[in-house]
Amino acid sequence: MSGDTNGGALVAYTADANKAIVYPLRHGVKPPISRLAISWSRGNTLRVSVMRKPSTSGDSGDEDGGKVVEVKLGNGDGEISDVLWRRIAYGSVSPFALLQSRRNSVSSLSKMSFNSSPYHVEWWEYVLEYSKDINSLLGNRQSPPCLLIEDPKAILKKIEKPTCLKAAWELMELFYADKLSQAWLPELLVDWLADYDNLLSGTQVTVHLKLLDFQKDIVSLQVIEDHPKFWEVVSSALAVGWLEIVVKLLRLHGSYQFDQLGNREIENGLVETVAVLISKMPRMRPELEAGKLGECFKDKPDFIKAWEKWRTQITKLECSPYWVQCVHHQTREGLRNMLQIMLGNINSLCTATCHWIELYISHFLYVRPFTAGLESMYSLAQKCIQSKPMASSHRLMGLLIGILSENIEVVLAECSKGFGPWMVTHAIELLTAGNDQADTLLHEERHNLGGISMEELHRLVYAQVLSSHALTWQIAPIYLTSCMQQGMGLLEILLYKQPVYNNQLLLKNIEICRLYELDIVSSNIMKIAGMYHWKHGKKGSGIFWLQQARDEVRLNRIAQQMFDSVGKSISDESFRQWEGLIQLLGSESKAVGGLEFLHKYRDFKKSLLQIHDGKTTEATRQAVESLISLMKNPSTPPRFWLPLLYDSLKLLNWQERPLLNASQTSLLLNKLQELSMAKLRPDFVEADLPPQALSSVRLALATNLGRSILEEQ
Amino acid sequence: MAITAVQNPTQIHRIPQSKYIDAVRWLPPLSPLSKLAVLAVFDSDADTPSLETHSLSIPSSSQTLTLTPHSRWTPPSRISSLAATASSHPLVAASTLSGSLHVLSAGHDSMVDDNGGSGSTMEPVLSVDEVGFHVGPICGVDVIESECVSVGEDGKVNLVSFGDEGFRRVFDGNGLVGFNAVKWASPSEFVTGGYGFGLQWWDLRRPGGPVSQLKGNWSQGKTGGVVHSIDIHPSRKHTCLAGGSSGTIFAWDLRWQQQPIVLSGVGIGDAATPSFSESEVWEVQYDCYTKPSNISSSRVLPAMFSSEDGILAVVEQGEEPTELLAEPCAINSFDIDPQNPSDVICSLEWESIAIVVRP
Repeated sequence: MSGDTNGGALVAYTADANKAIVYPLRHGVKPPISRLAISWSRGNTLRVSVMRKPSTSGDSGDEDGGKVVEVKLGNGDGEISDVLWRRIAYGSVSPFALLQSRRNSVSSLSKMSFNSSPYHVEWWEYVLEYSKDINSLLGNRQSPPCLLIEDPKAILKKIEKPTCLKAAWELMELFYADKLSQAWLPELLVDWLADYDNLLSGTQVTVHLKLLDFQKDIVSLQVIEDHPKFWEVVSSALAVGWLEIVVKLLRLHGSYQFDQLGNREIENGLVETVAVLISKMPRMRPELEAGKLGECFKDKPDFIKAWEKWRTQITKLECSPYWVQCVHHQTREGLRNMLQIMLGNINSLCTATCHWIELYISHFLYVRPFTAGLESMYSLAQKCIQSKPMASSHRLMGLLIGILSENIEVVLAECSKGFGPWMVTHAIELLTAGNDQADTLLHEERHNLGGISMEELHRLVYAQVLSSHALTWQIAPIYLTSCMQQGMGLLEILLYKQPVYNNQLLLKNIEICRLYELDIVSSNIMKIAGMYHWKHGKKGSGIFWLQQARDEVRLNRIAQQMFDSVGKSISDESFRQWEGLIQLLGSESKAVGGLEFLHKYRDFKKSLLQIHDGKTTEATRQAVESLISLMKNPSTPPRFWLPLLYDSLKLLNWQERPLLNASQTSLLLNKLQELSMAKLRPDFVEADLPPQALSSVRLALATNLGRSILEEQ
Repeated sequence: MAITAVQNPTQIHRIPQSKYIDAVRWLPPLSPLSKLAVLAVFDSDADTPSLETHSLSIPSSSQTLTLTPHSRWTPPSRISSLAATASSHPLVAASTLSGSLHVLSAGHDSMVDDNGGSGSTMEPVLSVDEVGFHVGPICGVDVIESECVSVGEDGKVNLVSFGDEGFRRVFDGNGLVGFNAVKWASPSEFVTGGYGFGLQWWDLRRPGGPVSQLKGNWSQGKTGGVVHSIDIHPSRKHTCLAGGSSGTIFAWDLRWQQQPIVLSGVGIGDAATPSFSESEVWEVQYDCYTKPSNISSSRVLPAMFSSEDGILAVVEQGEEPTELLAEPCAINSFDIDPQNPSDVICSLEWESIAIVVRP
């Protein structure tokens, strides 16, 4: 843990806090400024409120009284833009999720059967697949389409500058995920340096930088071999194993020119022999990319045989009498120096390389090609660091040393410090692949971390980073749900924190709840949304969300508020506005609470409107039925009893014959009786009716009772 | 035919962008080889919205496809809904979250631009953002040659005629109802959709309220959801297609008003209905590229939908759905090219555009 160096901090951070960074604020508020308030906004942005002193005279009414500006505090990594980071974050979701689900199925499988199944795919193969997927997100080393006529003097291919992040990922993949290639690790490191040496050029002289400089001069040079830089560059490139560049440079040697071939025959023979020897160098690796030089050997005994033979050839050439006949001094010395490099002369290697990794790589190529095992690799690295220390440290160096020293904690700290939370979270999968020690270290529940493992800690940190951005918060649940201890709790907080005013966002939020079966969270979010819409006058939306949340308590309370306005408005022409709302309530009364009444009330009103004077029709029968069912229903609020009866006066006083039978009429009379009791309660609301309403209803009911009894007899 | 289909599989191009794409619509092409699309873009870092036209040429093989920006216009707030006409002088209507409506003409620029080709321009034709137009965000907008209709959660249905000042209020629900989507059926009729899978048919010749309403018996299973998108086929105006919550896609045939025809959905209607997606269906469109297997007029024509769980597929009544895209993130919006219906443009949640070219 890096805690020791950072005073107990759980996550490593770079301690260049001494450098003050100035962020200019453009607020455009005219002085005098009276107040300044600063608070945190989303992510790493600060919200600064600038307030002006209110002017005493009213003449400056159109000027801003203040402004709120957001200041984005720069992210530490200038190499990768925010947009690119988001793209990497989006792209790594699928590989990460796939690996997690595979882990779950593998662990459940191994629990089921005690013997490991013969069809069981080795775990590291999954991890390697994951690593390759992630690697492809970090940029492709696509060389531009090959030109038909290659520039003979272009020694370096023009490629897009790779990122340190990709270099670091490949380093991790090399050492931890790619178990098949462990036998040719030194050769893989040679390739790695060939791809990424230019990244070190920023702080350091490198072979790549030397080549780049020489590339500029090459066009203007007439006699290339006279230039002292030529031989320096060639031997440097040879030392780090960039054989095709070396051979290409050698073939630019003046002795190859037709007009000179005659008198420089021996010299040319020597140059060509060295070039051929270089291109025939035995390499301990299964294959080489097209265009790369060397002869591949998969098996160690074959390689040793070839290696010894190759060295004998070099020694033979070194002792050859032709050297004396080579009159061109620079060529002679240059070529002989190259032979020394190929023979592994430590001094020559030291002079030819620029920093310790280059020296290290040259050792693998020419001194100890059989180096195997991290322990010996580490001691070799330390030797190289001693003889060629670096002027300044580089984050890739730190990572490489950490890996070689087999210290998982240092590797983690370097990943975190140099490349941020994304890197640590995703690289942990590589570290634990087939490494039991790392596995226990990372998965062990730690008391000082509040009972969570280091793996979980780093995932939580990364999830926090994702949560802090409006576009990436939706990815955070993938990482949070992979955290056993605190993931779900933080996920709930994240979901609750999302704004509810945007419908689309709200629905996306609820969708996440559905995916992770967080029914309680989703119903709470719906309640929040419902109340938000209700308070903002969008009653329809409010009721919809409360209905979805099945929140009967709030629906009933809302119903009481609605009745106040219903009593006034539903009888008149604005009835149409209610139509849509009542439609929404549906015919089913479940979870609608007191609002069910509105639906029935609407039906009653509708049938009442259809009644034309005097004629007993289907509509009148329906109106009576609705009235009775409304009066019977316990959800009908008492304050509507009298208005309902008052509205149905024409039904009660029906000319043709009594529409209500005796039992129905007595039910209504009973209700009227109950009403006088209900009036005594403190929460009763008096209906807005003419004063004689009660007496006329009572009279009508009494008359109807009499008529119906007579009719029934 | 089957052999050529194997030889030319569906091409999918994913083009990462650096900003969030809220909506996409095709515009008539600039030239036979170069297509044009309008994107509603939101830059969350700078908190600025924009409306951009981009041209693209679809390569024959698996070469990479690039979008070339043409013109740009900055709306006052983030775009909530986008519609475009398919005529040669297309109109683009964009509504915003702050409740304003903007209509732009996306004409072709006859002048040669810096890149050596003729570009497209976007000129604002009109903007409505007066007080009382809409309260809060506009949720749906649709445009035809002379008029534009907008709806919102505030329950207001407004009509903006080109050439006239201001707007005309068709209906004011006073927030008691809310609308999420709108689609013209004819120059005088349109359909709105909202909460509880409700659909309303409006006729400007019969003002006052909706002429007809869908009252399907939805409550059999789960409670209803929200309609996000509506489409009407020009040759079958009586059938209206809608998509919304819980993977629901249904058609409303005005001739059989009472029951919706469910094409896909969870827990609604009979169990035999296939459910392809369980999440929000953000957009539906009739797919005139897929040949209907049964051309009876009572059958619903094939329809394409995109969903929150990242599916772009074609559904047909009584048939197995055909999947075109399955993305790890939501497909928020898509559009089928009216001039070349094999081509579909989609906007994905993870700041990218996908182009699907069917064989």
